[in-house]
Amino acid sequence: MADTLSADFVVIGSGIIGSLTARKLALAGASVLILEAGPRVTRGELVARFRNSPRRSDWMSPYPPAAWAPHPVYQPKDNGYLVQAGPYPYPAEYIRQVGGTTWHWAAHAWRNVPNDFKIRSLYGVGVDWPITYEDLEPFYQEAEEIMGVSGAPNTGSPRTKPFPMQPVTEPYAMRRIRERLEPAYPVVSNTTARNSRSYDGRPACCGNNSCQPICPIDAQYHGGLSADAAVAAGARLIPDANVYQLEHDAQGRVTAALYYDPDKASHRVTGKTFIVAANGIESPRLLLLSTSDKFPQGLANSRDMVGRHLMDHPSTSLTFDAEEALWLGRGPQSPSSINTMRDGAFRSEHAPYRLDFTNISRVDGTSKSLVAAGVYGPELEKRLRHSVAHELNVKNVLEVLPLPEHRIALSDQKDAMGIPKPQAHYSIDDYTRRGHERSQADFKRIAELMGGTNLRFSKDGDFANNQHICGTLSMGKDPATSVCDGWGRAHDHENLFLASTGVLPTSATCNSTLNGLAVALRTAQHILSAQTSTPTPAATSAPGR
Amino acid sequence: MSTSHSASVDNLVAPNPVRRGVLAGLLGAYAASLIPWALAQPVADSDQGAFLAVSAILVGRSALDAAATKRLYDALLANDASFSASTRTLLNLINERKIDPLQLQQLLDDEKSPLAAIPRVIVSAWLLGIVGSGERARCLAFETALNAVMVADVLKPPTYAYGTYGSWAGKPG
Repeated sequence: MADTLSADFVVIGSGIIGSLTARKLALAGASVLILEAGPRVTRGELVARFRNSPRRSDWMSPYPPAAWAPHPVYQPKDNGYLVQAGPYPYPAEYIRQVGGTTWHWAAHAWRNVPNDFKIRSLYGVGVDWPITYEDLEPFYQEAEEIMGVSGAPNTGSPRTKPFPMQPVTEPYAMRRIRERLEPAYPVVSNTTARNSRSYDGRPACCGNNSCQPICPIDAQYHGGLSADAAVAAGARLIPDANVYQLEHDAQGRVTAALYYDPDKASHRVTGKTFIVAANGIESPRLLLLSTSDKFPQGLANSRDMVGRHLMDHPSTSLTFDAEEALWLGRGPQSPSSINTMRDGAFRSEHAPYRLDFTNISRVDGTSKSLVAAGVYGPELEKRLRHSVAHELNVKNVLEVLPLPEHRIALSDQKDAMGIPKPQAHYSIDDYTRRGHERSQADFKRIAELMGGTNLRFSKDGDFANNQHICGTLSMGKDPATSVCDGWGRAHDHENLFLASTGVLPTSATCNSTLNGLAVALRTAQHILSAQTSTPTPAATSAPGR
Repeated sequence: MSTSHSASVDNLVAPNPVRRGVLAGLLGAYAASLIPWALAQPVADSDQGAFLAVSAILVGRSALDAAATKRLYDALLANDASFSASTRTLLNLINERKIDPLQLQQLLDDEKSPLAAIPRVIVSAWLLGIVGSGERARCLAFETALNAVMVADVLKPPTYAYGTYGSWAGKPG
């Protein structure tokens, strides 16, 4: 062992959730050490990589994996890191670098709607959460104020305090969509971690239209800012520290984290409390890797629940040409949605969904289509401008139910560090497929209202993934069906907490980051309250499974 | 096709090609009719001249930047040693058979021509700034790629600021 480090809290993963959990603990005066598998990368480097990329529509292209801390990439070819066990592929994308995956995201920061927390009780599907919307509401607000969330109050999630900011100015294209779809469909501004004014030292959006893969001006919040904030609060962050094993004592308390540096030298970090915040795939992978005589199936896994209930948000879509020239690509990428199908009695029959309008520039996509079609000469520019001006896309964001057979497991294959790769077992069940089928009527009606022509539905049976990895560390009241309790504490280990979108026990219809972050901030509050002997409500008093 | 046209095309493959000439001297009548505006464009040599002529015909633009022409040409040649010869042959084909650019790809595909890949390679280079494919793909232009230039009156390339906050609310154009 090269050295031994120690802290009150050892946080594994420096993404938005791990870093802001670490920040909260550090602000309370605790010693906090963050171990990040990947390297530090600056915003300027990422912008340059994007501009120089031969695959600008591949949002992972500015984020090549580090050899010592690989993550999945699929272009120009699949690097084979996330092994696919099927029957349906789960090509998840995430980023192992300081700040994690929210370096590239659409910054959607939706709250769940209250009924998302009790779909078993209300609709007879999925599971109830061990906590309620009301339990989480103050922590939604806390997360929104840290990130700087802009939004409108008409999205179905009640608030006790206003948004930190007004919604970002609606692009012209979205205004016309809203106007033409009224009153059949209310189109609302998305709730996003994007500045509509200067906020916390960061500027308002300037419409760079590259929210994914990188906002060049930090008008959009991201995990790199979280990592900086954790360090500013006093946490120590060690990059290039790929944790491959957690150790425990005779009582099952976690005692140390072992990590490899890029040269595969092993280091040992001890601590009083460990928080695994390495996303919904790497976190269960680490727990499964941490086998011992006492825990032969890995940590927190005495009932074989770690990695199970894998969920995301599959999407199908419709692309069409609108009657009028709207020119997507002016303003932020993802401004507007239709929320009317996020909740209702139909949830007993089929998946709910949000309908999402993109505002991503069509220039590169149209260019490739025209080249593929062999359109040359004066027609090339004419058709390029027409398609770029008129093309619209709407997609659904479908709920997936938590099923134990959908899981992250360990593969027989090993990565470059000799560590077993993660392996995905996934499918699209009938509940989600029925939601997709229901949404096709909406797609057609929307196209009709927009005077749409040249309708191009996504290929039948193909579901695009949205990288909202959740469920694999599910929280719940019953240790037989969950990994951690409502506070994020592993059922099997007193000093092991899980802070990740993986703890979300259902996927609902909105992006997972804000929900995962709010749950993690509640976990941090619980840890701090317990340390200062401040009474906190018992998680087991909450309804749920 | 007149004699003079043939003579002009012959220049493209002559052992001592035109150097530092203008594009007009390299074209046959039909090719010249497709890009009359480009005839005075300077070219370094006949190989680049043929590339410039085919490029101009395929992308249908009224001017092509000389530095970009050289850069893309060098990259395409580095990727494919036969690129110059293929491009010259393609120019001859367009000229001799008076092929409408809009029909060119279909014609080459239908005839299973060995030149069928060339137009897409050239147009991808100009339009997207990308040369090569798969792991060998390289980006040679972004904000100056033609697809950015063609819409520059309305859109900015991603990562470039559209304007002050809220400027995207107005009707485009």
